Amino acid sequence: MLLKELSNLCGVSGFEQEIRNFIKEKIKDKVDDIKEDKLGNLIAFKEGKNNKKLMLTAHMDEVGFIVSNIEEDGKISIIPLGSIDPRVVLGKKVVIGEKKVPGIIGSKPVHLMTGYEGISSFENIKVDIGVSKKQEAENKVKIGDFVSFAPNAMLHKDWISGKALDDRGGCSILIDLIEANIEPFYNTYFTFVIQEETGLRGSGVAANQIDPDYAIVIETTTSGDNPEFPEARRSSELGKGPVITPAHRGYVNDEKLFNFAIKVAQENNIPYQIKRRTAGGTDAARIAITTGTPSLVISIPSRYIHSPMCVANLQDYQNTFKLLSIIITKEVN
Amino acid sequence: MKELIKKLTTTPSPSGREEKIKQTILEELQGYIDGYKIDKLGNLIVWKKGKKEGKILLDAHMDEIGVLATYIDDKGFIRIEPIGGVSPYNLLGSSILFPEIEGFVGVEGETSEEMAKNIKNLDFDKIFVDIGANSKEEAESLVPPGTFGVYSSSFRDLGNRVVSKAMDDRVGCAIIIEVFRRSTPIYDLYGSFSVQEEVGLVGASVVAFDIQPDVAIAVDVTAHSDTPKGLKRISLELGKGPAIKIKDSASISDRRIVEKLRCLAEKNQIPYQIEILLRGGTNAAVLQRTRAGIIAGTLSIPTRYVHSPHEMIDIRDVENAVRLFKIFVESEDSIKL
Repeated sequence: MLLKELSNLCGVSGFEQEIRNFIKEKIKDKVDDIKEDKLGNLIAFKEGKNNKKLMLTAHMDEVGFIVSNIEEDGKISIIPLGSIDPRVVLGKKVVIGEKKVPGIIGSKPVHLMTGYEGISSFENIKVDIGVSKKQEAENKVKIGDFVSFAPNAMLHKDWISGKALDDRGGCSILIDLIEANIEPFYNTYFTFVIQEETGLRGSGVAANQIDPDYAIVIETTTSGDNPEFPEARRSSELGKGPVITPAHRGYVNDEKLFNFAIKVAQENNIPYQIKRRTAGGTDAARIAITTGTPSLVISIPSRYIHSPMCVANLQDYQNTFKLLSIIITKEVN
Repeated sequence: MKELIKKLTTTPSPSGREEKIKQTILEELQGYIDGYKIDKLGNLIVWKKGKKEGKILLDAHMDEIGVLATYIDDKGFIRIEPIGGVSPYNLLGSSILFPEIEGFVGVEGETSEEMAKNIKNLDFDKIFVDIGANSKEEAESLVPPGTFGVYSSSFRDLGNRVVSKAMDDRVGCAIIIEVFRRSTPIYDLYGSFSVQEEVGLVGASVVAFDIQPDVAIAVDVTAHSDTPKGLKRISLELGKGPAIKIKDSASISDRRIVEKLRCLAEKNQIPYQIEILLRGGTNAAVLQRTRAGIIAGTLSIPTRYVHSPHEMIDIRDVENAVRLFKIFVESEDSIKL
């Protein structure tokens, strides 16, 4: 499992090269074909027993920021790439650009607050890179550089935390599926796509090149099993297995694939859970409207996604891997 | 016509679960089509050959809004999420039809004050569905999480006005079925009964790519302005004719379709209205943007209480829509716009 390494790489939407290069290096000798398309999607192919085509997709990008301005006092203005709650970034470490210049997202000390003052937007947030003049800052970073949460992955027994589990979890599972050298039933395309977080921008183009008969999107999804949420309204829960999505924004997942995934889980005693929320969309919606491909999302549940620290359970990871490792050897029925 | 609408509206088929309505539509079209296919997403595409080369596509979505059972508590109460534009307010005092059983919608709360507060800020967190189960196990055997449901509401005939759930867009399906039954098209006539319109125009996104029609017209329901303190800036009344759409928030109809339909309606003394809708959209939006662009527009049926369990239409608007389409598909210059 390469999840820890993958999470520590920086691949903010639009800047996926580090992830792409890493994955390519790991899998290139273990697949029948591999190519990088014009947008930067990485598509690896393994021949199956059947000529129909299965597309397995995970997105390489993670939420982050881009440098939008360098201020007179050397502070860095940023714009988010993907949806990020400004409240969760205050005081966090970031790295900027290919040189990974370290910085801290500034925050107001509690001593200067009256009560807990909320902040409403990224307009008020600046990154501090330890300089005091614009000139000095410009020697280190430039407008247009990516800003990524600083690498911070930790493994502890059954738990993993890190900035980019969404969706390096999916990438890691795809790599594991390739490493396991399973002979797939269908001609299978392991597709690592770009810019999911900024609007499902890579997967449609990838689907157009593949024109798959089925697509399964492997995601890292919101758990929402925080103590403050009632159980009924949690999206999913850690430790209860892979999350199978019946419907989400923009697409009701394919009924046949949905039932098939549940059947495989039940027959193999793999724990699974049905996603309880329909908010938020994935590449499945884009693939469906692009090539008319029946699609399904299977996810690793994770807490605190789109924050500097996601938390997931490795049993869930292993069960998600196990479920997919069986699914890809079978005919959908 | 009323019988057909009744049959179509009472067939439960929410977005993503359109199997039943697909079969019903196919049965109704028996003997009136030259062929059909079901694409990978589940869209039903039917056709009737014409005498001349060219393709006209009429599209109606066959899905309806609904709900998804997501969670069952220890006592067997079911939590739901909306599929498409279901307002929790429309579920108050209402019931849901699941494949195996009907369920009744309740609101959380102890005191009347708490109830009033919950109702004032109603969302799907505060409502639940009661199927009369005594335990989690009993409820799960009837409505396992992942089960889809629709409004439970019967068809009512009020004379010119008829009321049912799912008029949106089974009335469009009925119109296309009748056009196939009654017309001898000059050009190849295609009908698409598309899936998952209510969650984001999903099915129609791929239909026109496949068929490559010369002209595509979506048939769907639209708003009304003739109820107390209703929409003030638009003019759409039940019974004044089908509405030729100029624009909504998702598309602007091709001018040539608007003029052609208007001209045919006037020439044949078919009542019609002109529709400018402030919010909402139809499959025309995605049909239009397919491949290098397709001449596309929408013909609408003014409807009261859209997305409620009681959508009301005027049957004369439906008849006039069929008459207008029959003349359109039998007209020589329908694709030479």
